[in-house]
Amino acid sequence: MAKQSPLSTFVKRNRGLVVVIVLLFALLIFGSFISDRFRTTSNILNVFEQSSGLALVSLGQTLAILTGGIDMSVGSMISLLSLLTSGLMNGDPAMILPVTAGIILLGCMIGAINGIGIVMLRIHPLIVTLGMGAVLQGIALLYSLGPAGKAPPGFKFLAYGKVLGLPVSALFVIALFILVALFLRYARLGRYIYAVGDDQAGARLMGLPRSGVIIFVYTVSGFCCALMAIYLVSRFGVGQPYTGVNYTLASITPVVVGGTLLAGGRGGVMGTLFGAYLISLINNVLNFMDVSTHYQLIAQGLIVIAAVSIYVEKRKRI
Amino acid sequence: MTDATDIKTGGEGRSSGFRHILSNYGIHIFLVLLVAVSGIVSPAFLSANNISNMLLQVAPLGIVVIGQAFVIILRGLDLSVASVMATAAVIATGFSGVNSDMPMIIAISLAIGAGTGLVNGLLVTKRDVSPFLATLATMIMLQGFRFAYTQGAPSGNVPPLFRVVGAETFYGIPYNLMLLAVLAVIFGILLARSRFGREVYITGGNPTTARLLGINADRVIVSGYVISGVLAAIAGLVLSGYVGIVDNWVGRGFELDSIVAAVMGGIALSGGRGTIVGGLIGAAILIVVFNAVLMFGMPVQLQIIIKGLVIVLAAAFYVRRSV
Repeated sequence: MAKQSPLSTFVKRNRGLVVVIVLLFALLIFGSFISDRFRTTSNILNVFEQSSGLALVSLGQTLAILTGGIDMSVGSMISLLSLLTSGLMNGDPAMILPVTAGIILLGCMIGAINGIGIVMLRIHPLIVTLGMGAVLQGIALLYSLGPAGKAPPGFKFLAYGKVLGLPVSALFVIALFILVALFLRYARLGRYIYAVGDDQAGARLMGLPRSGVIIFVYTVSGFCCALMAIYLVSRFGVGQPYTGVNYTLASITPVVVGGTLLAGGRGGVMGTLFGAYLISLINNVLNFMDVSTHYQLIAQGLIVIAAVSIYVEKRKRI
Repeated sequence: MTDATDIKTGGEGRSSGFRHILSNYGIHIFLVLLVAVSGIVSPAFLSANNISNMLLQVAPLGIVVIGQAFVIILRGLDLSVASVMATAAVIATGFSGVNSDMPMIIAISLAIGAGTGLVNGLLVTKRDVSPFLATLATMIMLQGFRFAYTQGAPSGNVPPLFRVVGAETFYGIPYNLMLLAVLAVIFGILLARSRFGREVYITGGNPTTARLLGINADRVIVSGYVISGVLAAIAGLVLSGYVGIVDNWVGRGFELDSIVAAVMGGIALSGGRGTIVGGLIGAAILIVVFNAVLMFGMPVQLQIIIKGLVIVLAAAFYVRRSV
């Protein structure tokens, strides 16, 4: 391997992705030794399906983090939008299309407001999105203190439907990830996202449309949250005011595990996708080992520490 | 005085007396106005009962904010405080519930707080992990340990003396407020008057400068996280005395509330600026706002919405000032 083979360049460019994929395979082999039931197609498909929701939220989060920001409003946004989805549909199949379109539009708008706030007020994204998160949670609770409305019949297809034996939702999420990965790699705006995250001041000096880039990534994050909200309503049949609360912090783990630096500018979405699979698979293996959920939390903390220690961050804090 | 502020803010030029007062005491004035307006709109707000109630609630948040102040001035952020608080509270009920357990409870809680702070600090300094992730990871792990320890359902009683410190008053002044005052004076002097305090500001202002000046920046940063962890443990014990019954989530939300209070009090997330007094006033404002919402008969959900708006507006106010 004296010359730069395409493989070695790929490995160098996508260290996080490669590490995660290797770990995934190691875990699959390890799991098959532990339990016969682990090896079954239905179990693997189950993990595959369960991780899709988390991966979806983490997709938007990855873009925000690539610009050096973070979106702490995702949990409340998912809660509010899921509540509105089931509340407005309220079991009426005729409402599926208009409500779905409206919710996606609303998610994008909330995300855009996050981005505009960050650009206009010149405050750290953490503060802006935390504030937005609190406001959205409050609105969700004003709308309803408990589950509201119900999903129309047939709406379950989004979460439980299968094509050629594979879950529709999981396939859709993969397609979306590939689309965004190509966009980041080949579109001009995609390259700008990295440039802004790598060096905010430099990006401005070079005349990159920094404001536009930032508004764009938070809009995408809002879009992902809207899709997640719709998915959750399809899955559970109803929206709840706290249904998204855990996703705010949970959505950050796959991003970090997948090799995207919190400081911004480096990483990618495919690492995030496999990061989400890895986390679901670890929990699944721990379940088969009869490890209680309490210890699974400890394992998750250790994974975050291990990940951030492998991908050393730049000296740029917060 | 004016010269000193000018140096700190990068020399924005001579400011008129009014602007000077506004930029230095804006947050104090805001708190006074807030209390006055609330009292006028709802006389019950200023009743002795309600004031005593608010004072009781300030202490746990205030104690956490003191620690958070050190970390934020050092360009960090501590998300693990709520988890430390809950762990301390769980330990407070982990014994037989009598006063003679207290030395043991206090020793274990403070050790856990200090240990968590040490891990946070070492991850941030030695491994270059961002404070957000380092404290997020310790938060999750501590949560796991706590759940494993309690098997999901903590039970038992808080020693009676904790109840006294956490929830009772001495001629209308809560004991926990006195504790907050003592801690605020100690750590306020440490930050504003000691050599260590100066090192905190210099390191937070610019770590490279700090190293060039021969300051062991890593040690200062680790100390900051340890202070935050220890104070969070104390706050957890005080809160356990206030609520009396302990579940796994005592202190939930304090990580964000303490950051919000600090930012409102003028402690910039970019580091190097802010005071303990500012942070405590931020904490008081949060408590007053929450209380006023209820006193005005508004739905409790508005508390959360107003909190969100206040965070962003306060942060925006300070950004305008410093640029």
